[in-house]
Amino acid sequence: MKNKLLLATAALTLFLSACSAQSEQEDEQGTDDLLTGDWQEIAESAEGQEVNMYMWGGNDNINRYLDDWVAPRMAEEYDVKLSRVPVNDAQDIINQLLDEKTAGKTDGSMDIIWINGENFKAAKDNGLLWDDFTGQLPNFVDYIDPEAPEVAEDFGEPVEGLQAPWGKAQFVFVHDTEKVADPPKSMEELSDWIRENPGQFTYPALPDFTGSAFIRHVLYETTGGHEQYGQPAAEIEDLEEHFQPMWDYLNDIEPYLWREGSTYPESLAKLDQLYASGEVSMTMSYDPALAASEVLKGRFPASTRTFVLDVGTLSNTHFLAIPFNSTDKAGAMVAINELMSPEAQTAKLSPENWGDLSALTFEKLSADQQQAMNDVDLGEATLPLEELENHRLPELSSDYIEIIEKGWMENVAKE
Amino acid sequence: MKKISFWILLLLSLLLIGIPFFALILTSVSVGWQWPNLLPDSLSFRSWDYVLRGSSGTWRAIGISLLIAFIVTIVNIVLAVPAANALVRYRIKGKWLAEAILFAPIIIPPFVSVMGIHLTFLRLGLTETVLGVVLAHLSPTLPYMVRALITSYSTLSVDWEDQARMLGAGPFQRFYAVVLPHLLPGIAAGASLSILISLSQYLITFIIGSGQVVTLPVLLFPFISGGDPAVASAYSILFAGMAILALLGMDLSLKSYYRRKKSVSVNGRGAGNDEGTSFRPN
Repeated sequence: MKNKLLLATAALTLFLSACSAQSEQEDEQGTDDLLTGDWQEIAESAEGQEVNMYMWGGNDNINRYLDDWVAPRMAEEYDVKLSRVPVNDAQDIINQLLDEKTAGKTDGSMDIIWINGENFKAAKDNGLLWDDFTGQLPNFVDYIDPEAPEVAEDFGEPVEGLQAPWGKAQFVFVHDTEKVADPPKSMEELSDWIRENPGQFTYPALPDFTGSAFIRHVLYETTGGHEQYGQPAAEIEDLEEHFQPMWDYLNDIEPYLWREGSTYPESLAKLDQLYASGEVSMTMSYDPALAASEVLKGRFPASTRTFVLDVGTLSNTHFLAIPFNSTDKAGAMVAINELMSPEAQTAKLSPENWGDLSALTFEKLSADQQQAMNDVDLGEATLPLEELENHRLPELSSDYIEIIEKGWMENVAKE
Repeated sequence: MKKISFWILLLLSLLLIGIPFFALILTSVSVGWQWPNLLPDSLSFRSWDYVLRGSSGTWRAIGISLLIAFIVTIVNIVLAVPAANALVRYRIKGKWLAEAILFAPIIIPPFVSVMGIHLTFLRLGLTETVLGVVLAHLSPTLPYMVRALITSYSTLSVDWEDQARMLGAGPFQRFYAVVLPHLLPGIAAGASLSILISLSQYLITFIIGSGQVVTLPVLLFPFISGGDPAVASAYSILFAGMAILALLGMDLSLKSYYRRKKSVSVNGRGAGNDEGTSFRPN
């Protein structure tokens, strides 16, 4: 009896290891052709492929845009099946790829991943991304200025063609004009406003992405501009002292925040909920048209508007990358190229679909294409594109962000 | 007196179960629900339209969730019956160690073990498969099944089986006719927990399934943390419906088993020839 059991276990183990060994032999070939071959051939080899796009899945508008607008076009025009895989947190993708790299899995199921910032840096540092592929995409070549800082760098990290820009985001404050008729235009004015309207403002607790971005605005304004932070954080010796005015500012406003600052909403989602239910009069967003889209859904009051600071607000780019072990790289390239087309970008701009800013360089578009983009109704809650463009600040590199997030816990949350 | 306590009980259960559900339903169709309004100003079926439309894959996800929960529960029963039998009835050295290992998944957070399981499964080629997800779901569910069956076994004296043996019943007959009927309530309790726990797994399913095994929680979680309460509520209602349906299905099949069993044993007694079922302790 015991022997039989042992035998069965051994047989199972053998069978399983045979399965995994077999899959390792495929692939490898053909990926060089994709980096040098011409586009026609790549598009042909993509036919019939199934492309899995792993992306955050918590917004029904974005999901719909991919499922109902992009996917049918991909199937019809390129015979590529685009399947969206919902993810709760992009960091989960990176962890999974890390495990796959460790285990030597060469036939991964992720073909396109939607990342930027810290996740891109982690992926790049660990060699989880495929190769310098963006130069092969016709829409990248035609419509993108590769030298532009927002395309060449991602939170201070050189992109090196490992990921293609998909859209742009810019930080805006969201307010209800019935409660905030004259929104503050600087951090100083904001602080005054908070004191006059206690309990009406708060920000998401760090390390929430948007809460962290809010604090970077405080940093820029209270410590004298962003230029000084161009160098790596390790090179600034008195960083602690440098940050002190920022902590002072945050501690000064704390007693006047929602619930006297005894607690902070744990995420932007929670803050948005407070705003939607009317408990606070301001929220914030790293997506300038999201407020318009929420008004359209009926979640935010119709009197919702957005504003930027006079010195400007942070902006960044979000990207699409191909993991090292994607099995349908040609299909992934075709899909990314299609997502960067002026038509897809124009559709993406509309708050009805998503309301995400175009990644393309506006001047490179034809007159008709420019017209089409300008004709998109961004909704009353969204600032004009020109005003956004004129108030852009560069992002801080991720080594600073880590220090700030830790510092916030010690200097603000603990006290 | 009895009647009054019945009504109080009904009222309490309505308050405890009905009201949260009512709030969920309202949230799923609400538009711009501003504090301090007790009810939303207007209604919209946007979230239901999204959740139930063809390309959202909701129905497929429900099917896969139920399939996984069902297989997990069957495997649990097959594993837990001999395990509980051994733990209750045999004097084994180091029994406490076996018990500790069996119950460890309740105490150790799943995140810790699932990272290791993921690496191992990657090497074995088990990720991205329903089989892999089923195997991974065993770790948080098996302890409950074993626990329930241990209780059942500890009230089942070996004398019953000895008696059956003396009357000529073979090992299979003894198990089917004597042990199994006694275990059934325990199996039902363990299976309910196993189904519910398996249905509600997110992290394990997402990591082991690598996004290729899409269950309902995989669709639901981004909406909960992403803060779209309307869509999250709609999914939650579907989730509750799915869980209730699964439990109801189990309950019904159990009842029909008992009904069949009863009629067989009555017939058996009458005819006096059905040696298998007439051993059933009453």
